[in-house]
Amino acid sequence: MNRAPRTLLSLCGLAGFLGLWELALRSGLLPGSLVPMPSVIPGVLWAEIADGIWLEVVTASLSHYAVGVLLGSALGIAVGVAAALLPRFNAVHAWLARLLRPIPPLAWIPFAIIWFGINPSAAAFIISIGVFWINYFASHSAVRSVDPGYDEVARAFGHGGFLARLTRVSLPAAAPGILGGLRAGLGQGWMTVVAAELFGIPGIGQRMMEASSLLATDIVVVYMLTIAGLYALFDFLFVILQRRLLRWQP
Amino acid sequence: MSQHETATDIDASLDTRPVLTARGIRLGFGDTTVLDGVDLTVQPREFIAIVGASGVGKSTLLRALSGLLPPRAGDVSIPHGQGPDSRAGSMVFQAPRLFPWRRVRANVELGLEGLALSRGERRRRALEPLTLVGLEDYAERWPHTLSGGQQQRVGIARALAVRPRVLFMDEPFSALDAITRRRLQQELIDLRQRTEAAIVFVTHDIEEAVLLADQVVVLGGQTTDRPAGVVAHHRVTLPALGRRDHPDFADRVQAIEAAIGQH
Repeated sequence: MNRAPRTLLSLCGLAGFLGLWELALRSGLLPGSLVPMPSVIPGVLWAEIADGIWLEVVTASLSHYAVGVLLGSALGIAVGVAAALLPRFNAVHAWLARLLRPIPPLAWIPFAIIWFGINPSAAAFIISIGVFWINYFASHSAVRSVDPGYDEVARAFGHGGFLARLTRVSLPAAAPGILGGLRAGLGQGWMTVVAAELFGIPGIGQRMMEASSLLATDIVVVYMLTIAGLYALFDFLFVILQRRLLRWQP
Repeated sequence: MSQHETATDIDASLDTRPVLTARGIRLGFGDTTVLDGVDLTVQPREFIAIVGASGVGKSTLLRALSGLLPPRAGDVSIPHGQGPDSRAGSMVFQAPRLFPWRRVRANVELGLEGLALSRGERRRRALEPLTLVGLEDYAERWPHTLSGGQQQRVGIARALAVRPRVLFMDEPFSALDAITRRRLQQELIDLRQRTEAAIVFVTHDIEEAVLLADQVVVLGGQTTDRPAGVVAHHRVTLPALGRRDHPDFADRVQAIEAAIGQH
């Protein structure tokens, strides 16, 4: 299928969905207390921006997100790569990883509050947990599946040391997998950002809680769409970076 | 060390002593000894081909000679090996194994990284062998845009860039199509006029060995309870130029085939 008709069809699908939604509310088929009308959303968004609330909560959430994603990604890649390259470290941590892995990030909320209090660090901590596991598994399997032939080439040309092989072979050869993990982590971060703020840390999540307690569903939808927009923006920028870094791929 | 020896060390190119000496090499995996009692001496600029049936341990021997694999017994020495801007040996692999994430020139620079060279010198030292194999215009290309033959030429340039005393080649042409293989064999013959390196070349193709080498070492003689070893040395005394058309070429090939067959 060509690109232009496909885009057109996708657009029709979205417009049709919004149109049916609007129609269902206007005709009284759906009660207005359950969901807001799509047509009111732009006005509500503008009101939030004009009040300065939008920028404030988005900035707060972005800072939790940035710290959580950076921390989770860096640690996840470091531990994942180390586990793939160092058999002894792999053996030491294997069961610990198996034990901790199934615990969902939100289950850490009690500890986050005890350790950090109700503040931005607690939110960043919770966000970092989900991001950590995604990056950990992606980089671990990416480094493990690097062709050992490349290691032999590195050794044959005087790069037998651990650091030389890490920088010359393991990291560049595993880059496609590691970057794939980073991208998935960027998405995962947004999934937890709202939940991490629900217990009173200022940000998008808290604003949504406030709005829903007042049954202001239109404000809730504004922030749902804000998150979708921010995710799309970050993902778009990351894909540009990813293409640039992997331009050696056929 | 005597005064005389110190003097010859200074100008290694005048040195007529062997560039590689291997004594009593034993190789194996697990409980099995594959190859035992291999002695080998490589003279400056000499081209030695190692032939033998598959599984006899040719490639393993090459890895031991090049230092990639420690032998179970015996020792290998490459006197005047590593210099400040050169390496004792370097390897051309069967599959080119270029790093796909590096451009052609950066691939050739791999062995130069870590030597006492500035960035500019490294660049120049990489372009030199690329020109030798006729790929100077491909320096900034990604490896996947090159044909198999071109990739193997880059593999040869990568190995030559470090100005090795001994160039190890592990069936470098066996994965190529017949036409490309012939062309690269001819290029290697030409290349020998322009490089100081001695060459140790592993192949299962006896014609290729007789075509290229000064000396052919035949591995074989293994039985169920005895590992393989060197069963014959053949000096190929035919002129390098047009060797394939020489009337004695077929005889030499047959003699080596017989040596492999007997054991």
